[in-house]
Amino acid sequence: MTPITLIALLIGVPAFLLLTYVFIHGSAGLRHYILTRVGLTLPMVFILATLVFFVMRVLPGDPVSSALGPKGTPEMLARIRTQLGLNDPLIVQYSRFLGDMVTLHFGNSLMGGHRPIVDEMSERFPATLELVIPASIFALVIGIWGGTLAASRRKRATDYALRIYSVIIYSLPIFWLGLMLQLLFGVQLNILPISGRIDPVIGTTIKHITNLYAVDALITGNWPAFGSVAQHLVLPTITLGLILSGVFVRMTRINVIETLQADYIAAARARGIREHVLVFGHALKNAMIPVITLIGLQVAILLAGAVLTETVFSWPGMGSYLVERISSRDYTAVQSVITVFALLVALISLAVDVVYSLVDPRVRY
Amino acid sequence: MKSQKWFLLTSFLIMASMILGACGQVTPTAAPTTAPVQTEAPVATEAPTEAPTEAPAGTPADTIIIGTTDKIASFDPADAYSARDWELIKNINEGLLKWKPGTSDELMPALAAGMPEISADGLTYTFTLRDGIKFGDGTDLTAQIYADSINRLLTVGPTCPNGVADALATPYLASVEAPDSKTIVFTLKAPVAYFLQILASATYTPANPNNFPADKCELFPAAPIYGTGPWFISQYTQGEQIVLEPNPYYTGTLPAQVKRIIVRDFADPQTEALAIQNGEIDIAWRFLGPELFAQLQSVAGITASTINGGSIRYLILNHTKAPADDPNVVKAIASAVDRNEIADTVFGGQVNPIYSMVPPGFLGASESFDTMYASPNLDKAKEYLAASGYTEANPLQLEMWYPPEHYGAATAAWMQVIQKQMEATGAIKVTLQSQEWSTYVAALTGGEAYAVGVLGWFYDYPDPSNYLDPFVYNGGLGTNVSLAKEGTDYGEPINDKAQQLLDLMTQADIETDLTKRADLYKQVQDIYADLVVTVPLFLNPEYMVFRDNIHGSDHYATPETLNIAGTIEFNYSTLTKTP
Amino acid sequence: MARRWYGADWWFVTISAVMVLGFIIVAMFPGLFAPHSPDDLVGPRFLAPGAHPDLPALILPSDSPDNELIDLAVPSDQPRPIVAVVQGVPTSGALNEQAQVIDNQIKNEPGGLRLRPRIERYATLEEALQAVVNGKATAAVVQSLEFEAISAQFPTLREGASITGERSTAGGFFLGTNDIGQDVLSRLLWGTRIALIIGFSSSLVALFLGVPLGLFAGFVGGSLDRSLSLVMDSLYAFPGLILAIAITAVLGPSMLNIIVAIAVLYIPTYYRIVRGQTLSVKEEVYVEAAKSIGARNLEILQKYIFPNVIPSVAIIFSVNVADAILTGAGLSFLGLGLPPTIADWGIDLARGQRFIQTAWWMITFPGLAIMLVVLAFSMMGEGLTEIFNPKLRER
Repeated sequence: MTPITLIALLIGVPAFLLLTYVFIHGSAGLRHYILTRVGLTLPMVFILATLVFFVMRVLPGDPVSSALGPKGTPEMLARIRTQLGLNDPLIVQYSRFLGDMVTLHFGNSLMGGHRPIVDEMSERFPATLELVIPASIFALVIGIWGGTLAASRRKRATDYALRIYSVIIYSLPIFWLGLMLQLLFGVQLNILPISGRIDPVIGTTIKHITNLYAVDALITGNWPAFGSVAQHLVLPTITLGLILSGVFVRMTRINVIETLQADYIAAARARGIREHVLVFGHALKNAMIPVITLIGLQVAILLAGAVLTETVFSWPGMGSYLVERISSRDYTAVQSVITVFALLVALISLAVDVVYSLVDPRVRY
Repeated sequence: MKSQKWFLLTSFLIMASMILGACGQVTPTAAPTTAPVQTEAPVATEAPTEAPTEAPAGTPADTIIIGTTDKIASFDPADAYSARDWELIKNINEGLLKWKPGTSDELMPALAAGMPEISADGLTYTFTLRDGIKFGDGTDLTAQIYADSINRLLTVGPTCPNGVADALATPYLASVEAPDSKTIVFTLKAPVAYFLQILASATYTPANPNNFPADKCELFPAAPIYGTGPWFISQYTQGEQIVLEPNPYYTGTLPAQVKRIIVRDFADPQTEALAIQNGEIDIAWRFLGPELFAQLQSVAGITASTINGGSIRYLILNHTKAPADDPNVVKAIASAVDRNEIADTVFGGQVNPIYSMVPPGFLGASESFDTMYASPNLDKAKEYLAASGYTEANPLQLEMWYPPEHYGAATAAWMQVIQKQMEATGAIKVTLQSQEWSTYVAALTGGEAYAVGVLGWFYDYPDPSNYLDPFVYNGGLGTNVSLAKEGTDYGEPINDKAQQLLDLMTQADIETDLTKRADLYKQVQDIYADLVVTVPLFLNPEYMVFRDNIHGSDHYATPETLNIAGTIEFNYSTLTKTP
Repeated sequence: MARRWYGADWWFVTISAVMVLGFIIVAMFPGLFAPHSPDDLVGPRFLAPGAHPDLPALILPSDSPDNELIDLAVPSDQPRPIVAVVQGVPTSGALNEQAQVIDNQIKNEPGGLRLRPRIERYATLEEALQAVVNGKATAAVVQSLEFEAISAQFPTLREGASITGERSTAGGFFLGTNDIGQDVLSRLLWGTRIALIIGFSSSLVALFLGVPLGLFAGFVGGSLDRSLSLVMDSLYAFPGLILAIAITAVLGPSMLNIIVAIAVLYIPTYYRIVRGQTLSVKEEVYVEAAKSIGARNLEILQKYIFPNVIPSVAIIFSVNVADAILTGAGLSFLGLGLPPTIADWGIDLARGQRFIQTAWWMITFPGLAIMLVVLAFSMMGEGLTEIFNPKLRER
């Protein structure tokens, strides 16, 4: 039972049930919309994967000569390339690739130990999740609260302060923020670790069930491990979360301002409802709808930010995996990662749109 | 309204998980071997609360923990071809011969009862096995098992993924036989002067038939993995750690001295450096860079030392591509380079310059480049350049290529220093070009692309031939000093001197008298320097950091003498620990 | 719209415009501002900001008549002077350089004097100085402060002139030096040029491709619009950095390729906004009126739609430049962008990461520079948004 399978089952099954519910109870228009989107998503992902396939093979250099370096005699190189199927005609390689993609098999890495890509992703993907989820929560909390506050105190000091905050945060290069935090907390003050997911000694006591170390530690009651994971999570989460919060503050602010200008808000204000209740109770709820859509679309930013954060903190996630493997021309790994990313982004945006349509009665498909 | 909120939340969560579900619907593939969770958690140290100047002790008294960032690619001797793999294999297994610990030129019998009988024509080597050798699981080692293992190397080896170990067998061996239970006979295709050195490598250790199937490669067999050496692998988790325990049946000269060795994998050198400072590991070995090393030197409680392994850096010149096809130009480059300045500016003096491709300490090593060029000698460099018409008014346009990451991030820095040195002649204008490793090596070894590039080299077996042959024979790795000639091993030399070089080298390859051989190699190195086939720069140092209560590793920590034993021959058995 | 120009938003735009102008000037004439060349190894390694570099000085026996390096010159038939240096300290480089310079000056003069010192390297400072005391070396070249610290142990030696004279402190090292002795400040200022070139070029390319596409698609509509929108939407949704990584990996590391990669990322942004605006303006009554009096499509596009699109495009442009600079720095940081010897902020940050424990100034200042430039452009965009966005107007 690989970790990915476990996570997938735990949430995939209820997800499937929910989708069925939506299908049955949703309007005909919604069903049509979902089908259209799914119908469009798959070809898009397919085209992207194909593009990556051909592009990687057009690139000069290949994994075999990269690995053997100057020690590879031409005979050795030729032999290993044939073994790995790299000398087969392009069409053969391509059909093999298609077969792999369709069965979600992804093949074996072309590097070193030739591990199945699925195994490597089983380790890397949860690592990225473990970084991205707390960071998003952090960013959402700060973003929504801050944005709403700024909108409610418009044109006053708080508003400008928060707008300046949001612009400054947005301008910070994420990798620089990470480095500065490392410098301050890791090097000068020496109170937090600056790389890795967990202390290496404690790390040997973790049972790999889901590969989300925090969850695994909780399940097995391994408190030292949980503490270590939490410690290691602090700086990367702040880095990624802070940068995202800048974007969220801005978006929330704009949406709440617009909502606050609606007539019903003016009416409620006239009726004497307190500003505080007005903003956080009424306006925010309705402003949330487009905000959530936009947040869903920020997945792209999240993944990009994750790549840089993972590099700075030596976090063994999908982002750093991609960067490593591009350099060594590990075709199968790169293809698989980009395909997975594309799939992820497409599915999440579909999900967000569906949710949006269910929640906002004004949306008709 | 409230139900809608919950609905929103749950549906969001669930949609996200659907994606994971899509990724997760995979046919379960063979998961890598997982080790059972350790029953006792190792002594955990507190997180560092202040800058560690005095490092606290933290590991159990009978265990030595070694930290490394180098990854294992394979346990199979028929397949493994990297320094890390070989280091591990040499600790759990012994071959017929081995290097005397701490030396680079003394071979002694290990599994063999004595040195071999070599036939007069140099084609037959006969060994007698020592009595009472068993693998760690109790299986007896017979001559037949050993011969089968080598035959496995010849037959199965070429099908293995890393499968270049057969580069050490197929070109040399005609056959290997076990006429009786104690005798092993090697028959070579042609006489070769360094066959004994090759026999001492990890490739020629017997693969335990219970761990490694006879008909295919097994890169990561299930633990426990047994060999004939002082240790065996009791458990391992890929990417995390390997646990070694003493082999109860070992009868050799290097018995284990602690109860357990754990080799722990780190993702990056900074974490490894922190770990040695905090006492989480006892030894930090590969790949700390020069920066971390410099830092660790000032921490109390640990010793940081440089080991000069057999790894070198050099400029590689393509002698059929302008401007490196001009002998004056290459001599000018050899005269203008200042190795000491590179050492001082980029490495704080912590690397040793080399003046020949054969590093000091190897048989016949000389300092031919220093004798011939005494660089930096800018006057001479200018003379050479002027002889080809390059002056300040008409400078030589030189492109120098390098891979920015593969040889360490400092590469860009020392290439800039070299650029400065070339331009100090006043008659050269250098353009530095970097190219990502995969593209770079493909272009370079294809012999086409770059006139001047940078490469590193590491030996397969400790012999001067391994540092000279690849750069001269048959197209020579892109130097093109002897252009590849179809169907031969030697290629066509581009001029008389190159022909002379080839002749001397062929002679040296089969000369068995050590003094004569050393002399031949001295002559070879002189011509090599005259032709400037490549420009040797410096020895790439390996860094070892160990806590002060670890002993026995002093052997490998003397920077003044070359001790190549440190890199491939790291014998864990010599390590001890005082409380 | 006129009244929007008075108020705090006006400050936002003005301050940021001034900053942007400042950066552009620095980018156009970095040589005027930078004290050194960004590539030259001008100083000692790892010099902290504000610290004074320890100059290499000539150490001589107290009774020697020589004082400066040139005094060591001898006729070419006499044995060359031996100079002791310490291993690991880059004084030999400076010594060689200076000796070369002096030698070139004097070799053609009558008297036949040449300066070609033989350099002997010693493991420690004490050994090098001892060699001078013992007469094995004519002189030593060591760091002057280090010598002064132990000069009491060597009473028979005295310090002569500095080898390099005033030259190496000319300009100073205001922000310190990096791992091989290049001036951080100079690299910073020259890096502005690269950052702005990347930022402007990629945004302009994206603009010139995205805007016409958006106008066209929005105006004409139909299946072309749908398919184009599909492509653009998928491009937009895809993680930008990863796409840029993939493109630079294909094309290879160079400035042009980064510009292309980043431009591709931003085309959809222009496309979507312009298309949206075109769609809404298309429905306006005055456009319909224009059509009814026989205006041709091109005219409608030019006279009615395009002018309405300009304010949004301006906002997007400034935000895009900011983002492009960030992405470019990110790519260089990952090592997938420019060649690693160019004076670029991202590259300097990647380099500085390796020395985070010893040289904090190597990462602090380049990052600060990126932040300020991006801030300037973002603020401008932010301010312009407030001004131009009708939905945010006060009632």
